[in-house]
Amino acid sequence: MSPESARSLPVPSWAGQYLRDHALHALVVAFFILYPFAYDLFVGQFGLIAETVLLRPRTMLTVLWLGLFAMSFDFISGYTGYLSFGHATFFGIGAYFVVLGYNGQLPLLPGELPFMTLLVLGGVVAAVAAVLVGLIAFRLSGVYFAMITLGVSEILFVAAENFDFLTPGGSDPSDGVTPGTPSGIETFTPELGVPLVDALQVEIGAFGDTSLLGIDLGPIFNETSAAIVVSYFAIGAFVLVSYLAMQRIIHSPFGRVMIAISENEERAQAIGYNTFWYKMGAFAISAFFGAVAGGLLVGYQGFIDPQNSFFFLVTGFALVAAIIGGLKTLVGPLFGYFFLEWVEEFLAREGSGGGLQPFLEQNLPDSLLDATISGGLTVSKALDSFMTGHGEFYAGIIFVLFVLFVPVGLLGTLRLRFGTQSLSKHVSHRLGALGSETEADDQ
Amino acid sequence: MTALTTAALGSVEASLAAGVSGVPLAVGDISNLFTSPTELASVFIEGLAKASLYLMIASGLTLTFGLMDVINFAHGAFTMYGAYIAGTAVLTVGVGSMGAVSSVGVFVLLIIGVFVLLALLGVVFEVALIRRLYEYPPIYMILLTFGISITMEELMRIIVDYWNVNSGREAVGWSIPREETVPEVLQGTFDVAGISIGGLHPFQILLGVLTVAGIWYFLNETRYGLFVRAGVEDDEMARALGINIKRTFTVVFAIGSGLAGAAGVMLMWSPLWRVNVPLALGVLLPAFVIVIVGGLGSFKGTVVASVLVGMLDALATWAFQVKVVTFTDVDQLLIFAILVVMLILQPRGLFGVEGQGDHG
Amino acid sequence: MTLLELDGVHTYYGESHILQGVDLTVEKGEVVALLGRNGVGKTTTFRSILQLTPPQEGSIRFREEELTGKDTYEVADAGIGWIPEDRRMFSRLSVEENIRAAVPNNASMSDALELAYETFPVLAERADQRAGDLSGGQQQMLAIARGLVGGNDILLVDEPSEGLAPKIVTDVGEALLSAAESVPILLVEQKLGLALDLADRFYVMDHGTIVDSGETSEVGVDDERLRRYLSA
Repeated sequence: MSPESARSLPVPSWAGQYLRDHALHALVVAFFILYPFAYDLFVGQFGLIAETVLLRPRTMLTVLWLGLFAMSFDFISGYTGYLSFGHATFFGIGAYFVVLGYNGQLPLLPGELPFMTLLVLGGVVAAVAAVLVGLIAFRLSGVYFAMITLGVSEILFVAAENFDFLTPGGSDPSDGVTPGTPSGIETFTPELGVPLVDALQVEIGAFGDTSLLGIDLGPIFNETSAAIVVSYFAIGAFVLVSYLAMQRIIHSPFGRVMIAISENEERAQAIGYNTFWYKMGAFAISAFFGAVAGGLLVGYQGFIDPQNSFFFLVTGFALVAAIIGGLKTLVGPLFGYFFLEWVEEFLAREGSGGGLQPFLEQNLPDSLLDATISGGLTVSKALDSFMTGHGEFYAGIIFVLFVLFVPVGLLGTLRLRFGTQSLSKHVSHRLGALGSETEADDQ
Repeated sequence: MTALTTAALGSVEASLAAGVSGVPLAVGDISNLFTSPTELASVFIEGLAKASLYLMIASGLTLTFGLMDVINFAHGAFTMYGAYIAGTAVLTVGVGSMGAVSSVGVFVLLIIGVFVLLALLGVVFEVALIRRLYEYPPIYMILLTFGISITMEELMRIIVDYWNVNSGREAVGWSIPREETVPEVLQGTFDVAGISIGGLHPFQILLGVLTVAGIWYFLNETRYGLFVRAGVEDDEMARALGINIKRTFTVVFAIGSGLAGAAGVMLMWSPLWRVNVPLALGVLLPAFVIVIVGGLGSFKGTVVASVLVGMLDALATWAFQVKVVTFTDVDQLLIFAILVVMLILQPRGLFGVEGQGDHG
Repeated sequence: MTLLELDGVHTYYGESHILQGVDLTVEKGEVVALLGRNGVGKTTTFRSILQLTPPQEGSIRFREEELTGKDTYEVADAGIGWIPEDRRMFSRLSVEENIRAAVPNNASMSDALELAYETFPVLAERADQRAGDLSGGQQQMLAIARGLVGGNDILLVDEPSEGLAPKIVTDVGEALLSAAESVPILLVEQKLGLALDLADRFYVMDHGTIVDSGETSEVGVDDERLRRYLSA
């Protein structure tokens, strides 16, 4: 077979899909741009009921960076079929690189470098790390690949929880690290935007800039902190650019080889592609964006701990989001996170508002709320214990239902319905055969 | 440093801290281990005890993962439920104040009871959920059981929350304190011929040996064991010989779940694990490592890997206690380092079987 | 009463239509050969009967009981034994364990082992060896032994002589002949001479259907009637 015939294999009529994708892109981007305005409007108008059903803009921020992380996970796991089960490695590298780099704790790097420089350098470091891991891991496949990547992320997790080097101030490394802590290092003021153009850069963070493009957002937003909205737009733009870059790669000849690998690596090799280096390239790119996602989290939050970076469940929930949104759809995992966060916030208020529990608390009659179920337990307390902070319970149930009944995810289902993808192509051959022997059979 | 022959670890720590504090790795410390037979013996016994715990958490997984190719991410959650059920029962019965014999009796009953309960739960899961996905690509099994796992973990948090609120024990938090469940006789250490042995260690080793013997017997001497081994190799041929593979798998999954739960009962008393929700993940990952290091599809491999990891863990813990290394979680780091090194040197693990865990 | 009856069986592998309406019968006491080139659907016919690859259409009746829709182990329990191509040993199990696995739950294990070892004494000598370490001929004997101890009322035998030395082929042929005294056989065999020696009747398959059938006494090895469907 010639390379030409291989090119026509993986993505049928992708040009048509590309156009459709772009119309959709515009719609999706518009939705995300309008969201904070709509939130402010609805909450202003309808109060608690709008707060009950709408995701808070602060949570939307989380959706952005975790969504980017889940996209980078899909980039390698969905598109090449190699399950990167320790993908949190790269999220953590990106996050810790920003902190340690800023604090001047890394060799060869002066402290107080601009945030975006650290963000990109962290991505590069993660890409190099991916190549190092890949040199070993890509000699293996199936569940062994998954396990070796998991092993690496767990080693880094334990190291991040224990290495005193991370916290020269003497605090416990498992409590996390903060940029700007060493004496002599200035306060961390992460600026995000177009490099070299001051007017197009904003400081992100809960106490960052409140005006965007010269417009003061303070007076416009009554229900949300303007700093959150500014960070939301700046980070959103960065995530959009990252997404477009990844999407461009997927639709390039390189991306088509990735898909060919996921469908039948032996055939891709037989055609003459050196699949090893394609996989390495894909892994490095995926790691780069995974690290950028971690860096963005630090940019906004000004803090990172091992539990929220290198921890296994960080990968776990990216996987959950990728399945709910649809593996091998790239943007699907972002929607997956959106959906997941919505469910969690609606059914399990975390800390500061939103969700069903405050609504019930306010609207159910006191006589019912104070009624005793047993012992010292009232209805109110029961609601509180079931509907506060237990989002993973509901997320887990929904996830199980998805796996059983919507296995190709939200976006995957839509694409199947509109016929841009076939079911057999959807789940990578390689990912599909993970852990099992060859499925070839005699007649 | 000559008077170490009778030392329990505590006095070793004291004398060494005086001698070589601040040096991250001193040759003198390590050589002590080899010049003092009793010291070596207690590390060895601790290693065996740890190996037994690792074996118990990995044995259920090696049945479902290694044999059935079901990558059960809810395995750790089963262990955690086993620990909670046992912990609650022990608190209710009040084992802490019982004598040695009766408390061990309660413990044996608990192991059996929890095994049965979780085996039944395993049957329910297998028939209602897992079975639907045998025809699917195996990744869906990971996803399904991962979903089950996070649901089970959070459900336990809700239950504990509810229970705490209901009984006015709000301050207790998620975990059941170990002190309330371990009978006094097993809490300390005792000396045999100068060898310091933790009270729980002989107990754990005994259970580990029983687990190995039980599983070996099941696989090699029972009809279901034969079916399992036949079905693992060629399930079509097994079915064509009249073997009901579905039911066989249900039995295997039930046994795997029961073992996971029984391990939880044991871990309830272990100072490192105890009864708490994070136990689920804390158990799951090492269990996976052991199954992979031993080699998928090989029970012998799991046993050997458990002993290997247990011994190295005991050595590392000893090294930490005498301050050769200053790294709290050195045991965890070690486990994953073993995994990575093993996959580099021998991708199929110690006794891995061709074709298992691969894509083909 | 017809023992085994296939009626208009259509079977697919994914999207390829392999069996396109197969009709055949096997009566009690018969050995029936199923002839045809590679890839015409002989093995698929066996897999359809066993419900390993369930047919989409048509009916398969065994002693007038419908098999389609049953699980494979139920088909086996009903009395259909399979001696597959490539033998398909449980290679990590011992010879004896291979035999044990084939014995029905309610049958006597000692009787079964005695039957197997009497028929193939070489298996008794190697009872504790891994089946994977046996020679090709011994593996074929073990495969036949598994079929014999299964308490079967029919054996589906697929390419028993494949890959065996001529001397061994004779042994295997004799073993099948003696098996045929007690149990009917549906046989797929490339060596036409052997097939015609063993069988009472034959069917010829081509492109997923039965194109010819008759008594083996009517035809010879060089008969044009068979040659046109069998030569490559």
